[in-house]
Amino acid sequence: MLQDKAEKNPEIIGFACSYCTFKASEMAGSLRMKYPEGVKLIQVPCSSRVDPAFVIKAIFEGADGVFVAGCHPGDCHFIKGNYFTRRKIAALKEMFDAFSMKDKLRLFWVSAAEARRFIDKVTTMYNEIKERKNVREKN
Amino acid sequence: MKTGIFICHCGHNIKHTVNVKKLSEYFKKYPNVTVSQDYVFVCSEPGQDMIRESIEKKGLDRVIIASCTPSLHGEMFKDVLKKSNLNPFLLRRVSIREHCSWVGDDVEKNTEKAKRLILAGLYSAAHYVPLEEKRVDVTRSALIIGGGVSGLSAAAFLSKMGMQVYLVEKEPELGGHVRTLKNIWPAGKDGKSIIDEMIEELTGRENVEIFTSTTISGFEGFFGNYEVTLDTPEGEKKLTAGGVIIAIGFSPFDPRIKPELQYGKDDRIITTLEFEHNADTLQLPEKPRVAILHCVGSRDEQIGKPYCSRVCCINALRVGEAMKDKYKDSYVESFYMDVRAHPRGGEEYFEDTQEKGVLFTRANVAEINLSPTGIVIRGEDTLFGETFEREFDLVVLSIGMSPPVDNKLIASLLKITLDKDKFFMEAHIKLRPFDTAVKGIFIAGSCSGPKDVEESINHGRASAVKLFGFLNLGYAYVDPFISYVDPKRCSGCRMCEQACVAKAIKYDEEKRVVHVEEAACMGCGLCNATCPSSAISLKGYIDCMIDDEIGALLEAI
Repeated sequence: MLQDKAEKNPEIIGFACSYCTFKASEMAGSLRMKYPEGVKLIQVPCSSRVDPAFVIKAIFEGADGVFVAGCHPGDCHFIKGNYFTRRKIAALKEMFDAFSMKDKLRLFWVSAAEARRFIDKVTTMYNEIKERKNVREKN
Repeated sequence: MKTGIFICHCGHNIKHTVNVKKLSEYFKKYPNVTVSQDYVFVCSEPGQDMIRESIEKKGLDRVIIASCTPSLHGEMFKDVLKKSNLNPFLLRRVSIREHCSWVGDDVEKNTEKAKRLILAGLYSAAHYVPLEEKRVDVTRSALIIGGGVSGLSAAAFLSKMGMQVYLVEKEPELGGHVRTLKNIWPAGKDGKSIIDEMIEELTGRENVEIFTSTTISGFEGFFGNYEVTLDTPEGEKKLTAGGVIIAIGFSPFDPRIKPELQYGKDDRIITTLEFEHNADTLQLPEKPRVAILHCVGSRDEQIGKPYCSRVCCINALRVGEAMKDKYKDSYVESFYMDVRAHPRGGEEYFEDTQEKGVLFTRANVAEINLSPTGIVIRGEDTLFGETFEREFDLVVLSIGMSPPVDNKLIASLLKITLDKDKFFMEAHIKLRPFDTAVKGIFIAGSCSGPKDVEESINHGRASAVKLFGFLNLGYAYVDPFISYVDPKRCSGCRMCEQACVAKAIKYDEEKRVVHVEEAACMGCGLCNATCPSSAISLKGYIDCMIDDEIGALLEAI
């Protein structure tokens, strides 16, 4: 009977830096690349704008995964915003680890030209989370 | 609050995978939503009129346009609001094309996603406040990096229009690659004379400063007033430029990357560029056997250069023609994948060359071997499906264009992006081909992708016109998305001051609170995320907006 249950699709919230990842996602759209509908983006001026509280809020509201995406280290439009992001997310991951939620949070660097990389990253994340979610539902 | 939601069909682009009718019906039931409409093309003239009419008749104070991505038509929709006497920052764009209809195929799922995205926009727009655009003074001067044809043509235009021009060239002489070319197709003109003509135009002008043997060592500041540090032979020099044009050209592909071609091991294997320079001094027998290899360093996935370099086919044809003209009884064979003689007159030129007796063989060249009597080319004829082995006296490699050597240095100094081939990336491939993502920085010539001389000159001029449009007024408006402090909440812990990269946050010893220097604030929002007491907020991206957006994307509906 458990097998009859419909597959559950995860909801993923992504915070995308408007100078790189958001541009990459626009490009991915223009190139008609496909990624799951469960991935929804929130545009932020810089990945450093992402307050860890937003990530926690998204998890509380029911997101199955949250990612923060910014420019490659050294390429930040605001000079070193993404270094702050890296430290903040690393600390947050430590905290999530205590609750065994480490894999719900991801940080990745995608430049404006890397539409393909954006698709790869979000699709991998989506599929991994989906697999885990459905396994848990079955047990 | 009266919100108007306008959902665009974008012809079929959105409509074919998103049920727009259902969306516009759905949002009608929301409180505060006065108008919820869908339309074929919201960006068209009637679409704009529809928005204006709704604002004026229904008294809307928030406008949500669900259409293409916010970077397209942004200014145009802002103007629509301005014309209706509504603050343009009460507009919210929701991308349901690039982020929804184009990336998924399932109509039901897409409609659901679009619903969430619009809802996020609706919730977030509720917190919008009217903002005033920040006016900044613009220095009427331009920095042009690179003194090749595109840099020179940009400098010529800008100086003619009365702008102060600083032209920076790394080499001791202006002119770039074009200076060394003896015969530029199709006019047959000498490259040096073209360059000299352009330099002559510039040198007479007072408002042009040319720095040769100069590199850029520092680049700071923001649009309108970039602080540039130049490393000149006379020492360091600082200057202020209103805008920048990057025209650092390309670097020729180095065939040593492909060792099977044996380039550099024998004098009889040369590149088209070397042929151009030394065509007259080549030592060849009376009936020379010449091989020309197309697409060396282009359309080659293995070495990470999948793009077409666009100029090398014509170069290869010219080598063949020159050989046939000089040695009537020569045997000239071109090994090609496709002949892409795309400029005007190129196809005719290709036919002429064939008529002159140049043989064209569609082939994959596997390797080149050196033998005492000549150079042996081994490969596969892809039309016959046969392997061949032939001996030649001269092999000319038609090399492509590689990204400029300084691309990474310039990209990291100026904070602009490179595309996947490591050329500079434009803001939008079709709509903004000269702009970069950074305001006031433009690209020109082959540093943004392979271009021939004519295209480079045009590209340089076009970028110059675009930059002139920015500089001419002497002032500009920039986005008002900067931080502000609520002094009642500020505890004076000074954490934001430490975090701020732009050094825009100053501490007031007397009042024991911080304040933001508006002119210096870059608008990254780092301080907002750092503040433990939520006293500092970034306009346009305040905490409650993002919180509500998260809520809207996830709440049960």
